[in-house]
Amino acid sequence: MVKKLVLLQNIVKTYQTGNIEHQVLKGINLEVKEGDFLAIMGVSGSGKTTLLNIIGLLDKPTSGTYIFDGQDVSKLNSKEIAFIRNKKIGFIFQAFHLIPWATTLENVLLPLLYRKEGFTKEDEKEAVKLLERLGLIDKIHAKPSELSGGQQQRVAIARALINKPKLLLADEPTGNLDTQSSSEVMKIFKELNQEGLTIILVTHDPEIAKNAKEIKIIVDGVFVEK
Amino acid sequence: MKLLNLNFLKDIVRELFSNKGNLFFMVLALVISLTALNTIYSLGESAKRQVLEALANLQFGKDALLIIAGGGRIIGLTTTRTDTLKLEDVEEIKRLSFVKLASSWSRGILEVSYQGEAEKLRVDGVDLNYSLANNWYTSSGRFFNQQDMESLAKVCVVGADLPKKFKIKNPIGEKIKIRGEYFEIIGVLEPKTFFGHFRADERVLIPFTTAQRRVFNKDYIDAVKLLFYPDTDMKMATQTIRQILRKRHNLYGVQPDDFRLITPEMSIQRFTEASRTINIFLLAISLISLIISGVIIMNLMYANIEEKAPIIALRIALGATSKILIKHYLTMCLLIALLSGVIGWFLSIILMQAISLFTPLKPLFSWVTFLISLAFATITCVVFGLIPALKATQIEPSILLKSL
Ligand SMILES: Nc1ncnc2c1ncn2[C@@H]1O[C@H](COP(=O)(O)OP(=O)(O)OP(=O)(O)O)[C@@H](O)[C@H]1O
Ligand SMILES: [Mg+2]
Repeated sequence: MVKKLVLLQNIVKTYQTGNIEHQVLKGINLEVKEGDFLAIMGVSGSGKTTLLNIIGLLDKPTSGTYIFDGQDVSKLNSKEIAFIRNKKIGFIFQAFHLIPWATTLENVLLPLLYRKEGFTKEDEKEAVKLLERLGLIDKIHAKPSELSGGQQQRVAIARALINKPKLLLADEPTGNLDTQSSSEVMKIFKELNQEGLTIILVTHDPEIAKNAKEIKIIVDGVFVEK
Repeated sequence: MKLLNLNFLKDIVRELFSNKGNLFFMVLALVISLTALNTIYSLGESAKRQVLEALANLQFGKDALLIIAGGGRIIGLTTTRTDTLKLEDVEEIKRLSFVKLASSWSRGILEVSYQGEAEKLRVDGVDLNYSLANNWYTSSGRFFNQQDMESLAKVCVVGADLPKKFKIKNPIGEKIKIRGEYFEIIGVLEPKTFFGHFRADERVLIPFTTAQRRVFNKDYIDAVKLLFYPDTDMKMATQTIRQILRKRHNLYGVQPDDFRLITPEMSIQRFTEASRTINIFLLAISLISLIISGVIIMNLMYANIEEKAPIIALRIALGATSKILIKHYLTMCLLIALLSGVIGWFLSIILMQAISLFTPLKPLFSWVTFLISLAFATITCVVFGLIPALKATQIEPSILLKSL
């Protein structure tokens, strides 16, 4: 039996703005198994990012149960959550979020700075290999400002992969990229998924979503059947 | 996580230099107060050293006591008669077993002139023990001898600067006028570097007997310097001498002493008491200026953390714990402290050099001062950097995905 990596049960997220309560997620149920490649779609404001934040332990649900990799997330302390973010989850953002003063290689190695073991020359070689695979070998010592959008996103992918995570989360990873770069990134995603990496992708572009094995649509805070 | 990770440090240094304006003002704030602190402290220390040196120059030695005629506070006006200290008193004190040497003198400020140029100078009538008691000898010519004393000779020994003052080329054998009478210069004293207004090197010494009978016309003396044998109990010695003098001067009960006994400890103690007050004052000023720079640093650090919020959120999303973030920003504060400490120290050295050009204070270089100021800088930075650092840990990582 394939292991369940993400299990969401009746997840509700309510934002409070002044006196007005705004329920963004209204009872989300979701199961993601190891090796899945899921695309979440929905109109702007439907709650896609909110959901991804919760899955990625960047935000907490107002109610509901979230089991990640067999652990009830609500029972974890901040150190354990930091450990999961560091080791088990890789993030890719629409805005890349690279550190502007660090080189490509340093940006990729950043997550290793935050793990207990630190990093060695071996890890550095590993990072170089990863960058080679992503076609960035001649940009290793470049700063983000010297890279194109597509290249920056590939650096971010390398950074997300450096700790060999179980789950890759991507929020509109191609939102800032042209068609050419977008298809390159999706090609990488597909390859990674074929190698066994679980991926959850948020997008509102149906062409991008087609790359996933499964598509779910969120409407008004709940998933709807296609 | 290792204690000092080079990559961790590199990241911090780059972040620090990513906003140079911010860095400049943080360092500036600290540098100003550290420079002031270093300079004030070093100048104070330098003044203290020179005063202590001057006291040492008096050859006040460890086993010495000065009796000054007239009672009252150590520094201040006399409040009793000043004409009660007599040679007979000294004779009795000399018989005490622990007294090695006694040298009596009388003094006055008199008009001294040479070839029409006149000046009011200190003129001391001194006995044969003067050189020994004060460790002050002639560098040329000779000191007084027994014959000078017996014959009430009109000879004098002058301070090292006096010939210069009166433009006397070859002082030995020249005659200067003291209160209208000619005195032959028979010796010149070694120079003594004194601090302040002592003007020891412009002093004129004449034989004690000549002074008493020809110049001052008095039968009392102004001061006696006593040297004791080594390891004399100073407290006991002072007490004994005080009792002898009170008895001889017919002082009983609550009548105050008509003399003052000064030991080297007392002079140093008085000085250190005065300097302690000044030190406390300086410390208060320094603390206030450090607190002000601390508050400035705190605000700039807040601004820095606000500006870097997305990057901090990223660090959190990549697995940085609160501990790591606090370490990150406290290390940054330490770097600021180190940088400011070094700059402040250099500036204070330059400043002290400049001050020494216009004042008699010598510049003083001390690693202790440097380390102390570095410690102050570190404490300031860490204390005032902690609150902003804690704020960094409060940043919500979820802003990352929404910051578009
Ligand atoms: N911190 C917050 N406080 C209050 N309301 C919020 C907050 N974050 C999100 N919302 C609201 O929740 C709703 C869902 O936001 P979310 O960012 O999840 O949408 P989305 O599906 O990702 O949209 P888009 O496609 O535009 O990125 C929106 O109406 C938004 O205004
Ligand atoms: Mg979104």
